Amino acid sequence: MENTFEKPGALARPAQTSSLSGKLAPPAGRHLAGIVPLPSLEQSVAGVLVLALLLALPWLHLGYRFLSIAVTTGYTAIALYGLGLQFGQAGIMSTGHAALIGIGAYTAAILANHLGIGFWIALPFSMILSAIVGGLISLPALRVGGQHYIIITFCFCTLLVVILTNGGWFTGAATGLDVGPIYPVFGINFDKLRNGYYLVALALVITLVLTYMLTNSPYGRTLRAIRENEPLARAVGINVDLHKIGVCTVSGVFAGLAGILQVYYLHHISPTLYGAFPSMFLALMMMLGGAKLIYGPLIGAIIVNFLPEVMDLNPVDSRIAYGIGLLVVILLLPGGVSAGLVDIYRWLVARWRVLSQISAAH
Amino acid sequence: MAALEITGLRKAFGGVVAISGVDISIELERITGIIGPNGSGKTTLFNVVTGVYRPTAGRVVWQGEDISGQPPHQIARKGLVRTFQQAMSFQELSVRENVYIASEHGSQRADAAKPRWGSPEEILSFVGLDGHGEEIAGSMPFGNLRRLGVAVALAANPTLLLLDEPAAGLTDREATALTDLIIQLPKMGIGVCLIDHHMTFMAALCERLIVLDFGTKIAEGPPDAVLHDPKVMEVYLGNDL
Repeated sequence: MENTFEKPGALARPAQTSSLSGKLAPPAGRHLAGIVPLPSLEQSVAGVLVLALLLALPWLHLGYRFLSIAVTTGYTAIALYGLGLQFGQAGIMSTGHAALIGIGAYTAAILANHLGIGFWIALPFSMILSAIVGGLISLPALRVGGQHYIIITFCFCTLLVVILTNGGWFTGAATGLDVGPIYPVFGINFDKLRNGYYLVALALVITLVLTYMLTNSPYGRTLRAIRENEPLARAVGINVDLHKIGVCTVSGVFAGLAGILQVYYLHHISPTLYGAFPSMFLALMMMLGGAKLIYGPLIGAIIVNFLPEVMDLNPVDSRIAYGIGLLVVILLLPGGVSAGLVDIYRWLVARWRVLSQISAAH
Repeated sequence: MAALEITGLRKAFGGVVAISGVDISIELERITGIIGPNGSGKTTLFNVVTGVYRPTAGRVVWQGEDISGQPPHQIARKGLVRTFQQAMSFQELSVRENVYIASEHGSQRADAAKPRWGSPEEILSFVGLDGHGEEIAGSMPFGNLRRLGVAVALAANPTLLLLDEPAAGLTDREATALTDLIIQLPKMGIGVCLIDHHMTFMAALCERLIVLDFGTKIAEGPPDAVLHDPKVMEVYLGNDL
């Protein structure tokens, strides 16, 4: 089978085809490592802008409080990207995602309190444990439909809170656990908010890159096929069960990372941080931001975390605002704010094209 | 030994027996058709053969291997591919992606007899969807969705294609186009077994017909003989005539 695209550059190799397999030539164009298409111009520009904003934020001198909210938004967004992969790509909604964050957070806190293990060594443990639990709680999703699974995950996170509250000295019970600071590396002191912020920002950038790669790889395409039509996916040879477990496991990795970042930012965690209500908040951010586009989870996290600040709302009023926002999104912007922004952008580009054609004709 | 051997197959859902003791052999060289009144167990048969349901009793042997009770994706990867009664597609994905996904996950075995498609566009051309590659599957009219269903099934690299009511909902002209398409498949090394209700369509297309009624096989043979069989006529037309 001939491969039909241009000669590759240094990083881009043509995607693999084999004359012995049934595979067809993949979509034309340059690919990274033969699997993921290079981002388009628009995507690259957006990426650069987001990166620039992330880097510049502390230097805009918007205040300590603003930066603190930015850190919270950052690690929440990381967890949301896990949920975005699970829901946006594979169609598996969960209202128990906070529990996975909690597993990551408590793993780190327990390791610190009982084994004296600090942030850097605990990091892989948090991610792995959350991944394992993520995979385990996906098992019911193999047998029941989406609506039932939402209830199951809701119960799961409530169950986790009960277990943590009754965990005695091991989990710190209702009071919870404290952790100390992140051990400095390369002489960077993470007690300084700005450094903590950059750590979270770095984790977020890595998350964005990984999400981009997963979403645009054949794996992402397979997940979307499962989301669109499960029986058809099975009928063309996709092992749906394995993929569902896989994506929920990956989702857990992101949640675990978010969890350990959270515990080392707050320096104290307790069970209620990971119950039903926080899970609902995550689902809310997902809905508001949009699950399918790459900046959806980030936008959702920004809206929910910054809205009360920007509009100076108290907690009660801010929840009313969220409710209204959710209604607006459901009725007018089903794809979330991210989809709305993309639509506006496309509309503007189309208008600009028409106008430049008209002026060129004169 | 035929490619697909179904022996003593039985499928019951609780107390409801959908298939009771069916023996069927399907060869790759001749187009086989399965007909029968509604509720006679035709789609259930396909579902059991392709692993959507587990058989209650009996065996399904494909190319010498007992595949009874294996999961659908495994069976599809062995070259036994089915289409669905409803026009199924990956709605939000493009037509091209629909075909491409099937090619990624279907049987990876190349066969000297079977076609070697170079790109999704070749398959789309073959089924008559030239130029529709970038359309979103869910936005296509019904006739095109049916063609897409066949394209997706072909992309999964089948050795035997099980078509479940492929002509349902098609106009006469569309059904004729479909006939022209299907009739080429055995010569390309792809066996065909189809279920449908259009008698003229089936009589024209199939070299062999099997008739099911209430989950059992009541007739089998060339279309002329089968369609004039008194048992078959009674099942379809009643015995008042």
